[in-house]
Amino acid sequence: MGAYILGRMGSAIVVMVMVGIFVFLLLRLAPGDPAAMIAGRSATEEMIAGIREQLGLNDPLPVQFIQWVRAMLGGDFGTSIFAGRPVLELLSQRLEPTLSLTILTTIVAVTVGVSFGVLAAWQTGGFVDRLLAVFSALGYSVPVFVIGYFLIYFFAIRTHWLPVQGYKPIGSGLGLWFVHLILPTVALGLGFIAFIARVTRASMLEVLSEDYMRTAAAKGASSYAMLVHHALKNAGVPILTVIGISFAYMIGGVVLTETVFNIPGIGRLVVDAINNRDYPIIQSVLVLTSGLYVLINLTVDLAYTLIDPRIRY
Amino acid sequence: MTISRRDLFKAGFAVGAALSIPSIPRAQTATAAARTARMVKSSDLRVFDPILTATNITADHGAAIYDTLFSLDSKFMPQPQMVSNWSVSNDKKAYTFELREGLGWHDGTPVTAADCVASIRRWGHVHPGGQLIMALASDISERDDKTFTISLKEPLGLLIDLLADLTPPCLFMMREKDANRPATEQVTANIGSGPFKFNEALVKPGASITFDRNEKYVPRKEPSDGLAGGKVVHVDRVIWDVIPDQQTAMAALQAGEVDYFETPPVELYSLVESDPDLGLQVLDKPGWDVVLRMNCLQPPFNNVKARQAMLHLIDQEAFMRVMYADPKYINTVTSIFGKDTPVSNDENTGWYKKGGDPEKARQLFKEAAYAGEKVVILDPTDWREADNASQLLAAALRKIGVNAELAPMDWGGVSTRRAKKDSVENGGWSLFITSESNYSFGNPLATPLLLANGDDAWYGWPKNDEYEALRADWANVSTLQERKELARRMQSIWWDFVGDVRLGKYVSPIAHRKTLTGLIGMPQIVPMWNMQKVTA
Repeated sequence: MGAYILGRMGSAIVVMVMVGIFVFLLLRLAPGDPAAMIAGRSATEEMIAGIREQLGLNDPLPVQFIQWVRAMLGGDFGTSIFAGRPVLELLSQRLEPTLSLTILTTIVAVTVGVSFGVLAAWQTGGFVDRLLAVFSALGYSVPVFVIGYFLIYFFAIRTHWLPVQGYKPIGSGLGLWFVHLILPTVALGLGFIAFIARVTRASMLEVLSEDYMRTAAAKGASSYAMLVHHALKNAGVPILTVIGISFAYMIGGVVLTETVFNIPGIGRLVVDAINNRDYPIIQSVLVLTSGLYVLINLTVDLAYTLIDPRIRY
Repeated sequence: MTISRRDLFKAGFAVGAALSIPSIPRAQTATAAARTARMVKSSDLRVFDPILTATNITADHGAAIYDTLFSLDSKFMPQPQMVSNWSVSNDKKAYTFELREGLGWHDGTPVTAADCVASIRRWGHVHPGGQLIMALASDISERDDKTFTISLKEPLGLLIDLLADLTPPCLFMMREKDANRPATEQVTANIGSGPFKFNEALVKPGASITFDRNEKYVPRKEPSDGLAGGKVVHVDRVIWDVIPDQQTAMAALQAGEVDYFETPPVELYSLVESDPDLGLQVLDKPGWDVVLRMNCLQPPFNNVKARQAMLHLIDQEAFMRVMYADPKYINTVTSIFGKDTPVSNDENTGWYKKGGDPEKARQLFKEAAYAGEKVVILDPTDWREADNASQLLAAALRKIGVNAELAPMDWGGVSTRRAKKDSVENGGWSLFITSESNYSFGNPLATPLLLANGDDAWYGWPKNDEYEALRADWANVSTLQERKELARRMQSIWWDFVGDVRLGKYVSPIAHRKTLTGLIGMPQIVPMWNMQKVTA
């Protein structure tokens, strides 16, 4: 197990290095000049040239790359070209909102999605199953921003029950933090609830048709014991995989929700950085995100061993 | 284990009941506090140094935390701001300025003449008017802590106007140690002597910026007038919330979470007008002129006939409609000095025709021996209005037989590619759309868009020596009448060689809650003093 984990950690480093090289080259080859963005629309060429020189953007690419790698190895993620602040400081400001939203959404999506899926499988063709079919179609097909605007209109503008936008750190009070996350969590979570519920249903249906389930029923096991202890546990591997994929996807794909509900998270930081050509931020976030993806996958793989003792590494 | 529909309905009602207990979340919903104004600006404050960049958002930030030697009043006349007295020698070559009492930096140290000298020198590297002053100055130095002089090699009648000019980068006073940095290196200390202090602890780049009232600021005694007069602050704090999505920003305004939304999209104007708590207000009455730049170095626009063809082709009303839609806020513009500036005029504007003149344009392209060369239009797809206009432009060109091609990219891409002087086959360009403050066109020494000195001119690089000679005279004329005369002669030449083409003019109203009053309307800068929140 230890060797397996070390091997996977090693592969994470290889992935991060490759992503780093790719992103560095891609950014430098793509059109756009941070100096021009800093100087403004009406700036003169002279102003822009001066800023470019000051930022070291006229240095040869290999020199810029070596400087960046050397700094990264020393734990220095660089300084934002625009804000003039360390990238790590900006990332730390943005991490909490994104993690809050994704973790809360994952908890809600897993709780509701798995329950929904189990019930739908238990009553195949029944009301809950048909409801899940409708809900899944909506969850998959209605974009986050449509759901988001609808929620804002009804729950914030019409009724004033919840805030339209913004994020309050946990430090400012748990209630305030939670209230600001309700609408974004619902908007982001609906698609994932549908996804997890569908996979859970399919996986459960497969298990429920197994011989040992009939045996359990014949032995007089309760419905709860059959569903949760026998069926769900055996259907767990694909469900866990989907949860892992969903969480990783949320980390990278949360930007639309962050934009609609004005949550200053990592997604928006990256989009702004791309628009501004703020190279140090884009490079750092993408490299760190690639490492995070590998870690999430590793965690999911290790979690398999907890629910299925037959799996060994 | 079965679940009936009745159970589901019960659960639904329970959730609904829980959500309908509004007191807790409502109490916790963030509403703008009574003495805090929350503003959604036109963009995110990305660069903090108002000399490093020409962007308006940074100029607004500069106006909040820094102060100026002179300020323009509502009639665009320069008035002393940090200066108490100033004088000029009989030969008009030596200006002496004395700072008023009570000026102090936010770090507690007093403002000195040395700070002002360093600030003028730094600004003089980047602002066209500042560069002119630096070129003519024989000496800029402090006499004592409160007095400094600008000595010139020859008289410059516009000196005070240039010191007060509103076209970013504006002349904001900084501490000497900040102003001694190169103009291309960002100052991030954010310590000024203005009416607001930058709250460093609460700054969240990309999310929100907080300004606090500078309690030690001593405003002038005169009443507020434009950017001049007493800068009296009536709120304790101003927060700039970055809300990138316009629908969300509007919803936040409706819900009372913010007080001010700087750039509501035109399709939401009616929503604002229908809400009794909200209002639209045009702060920048002169507005913005939309400009078409042509690459004068490459075919077909290296031929003056092709440039003249563009002048005749453009239907300004059509362009303004696709860009800004609401007829209340758009207009045509035929003077190179903008619409209704003191030097606007109608010299050599016979080319203007309502609806444009495509046939005349076709004829002029023919006279330019246009042979089907590709015309590449840089199309900034992340600037919706310019994207619409670019598409209309391409259609208009194709209609008269021009081989027009759109090159879609974000503004970052445009800002890089517009610097390329090569042919379109080698990554160059033919046309792109930009905008400039209508106010700035009133002074050809303040905006680079009115240069015509070839390689040193702004993107497109128009060249006309006769025009440039007249432009150089601008600094020497002292009366408005003389300036008007000169403007007519310059415009007559400009529309012959066609240094650029205007697509029209627009003003952009801000949306605000009616509880936010006292907003000062001036071009280029949105000041935050004088505004106050009244109880609803």
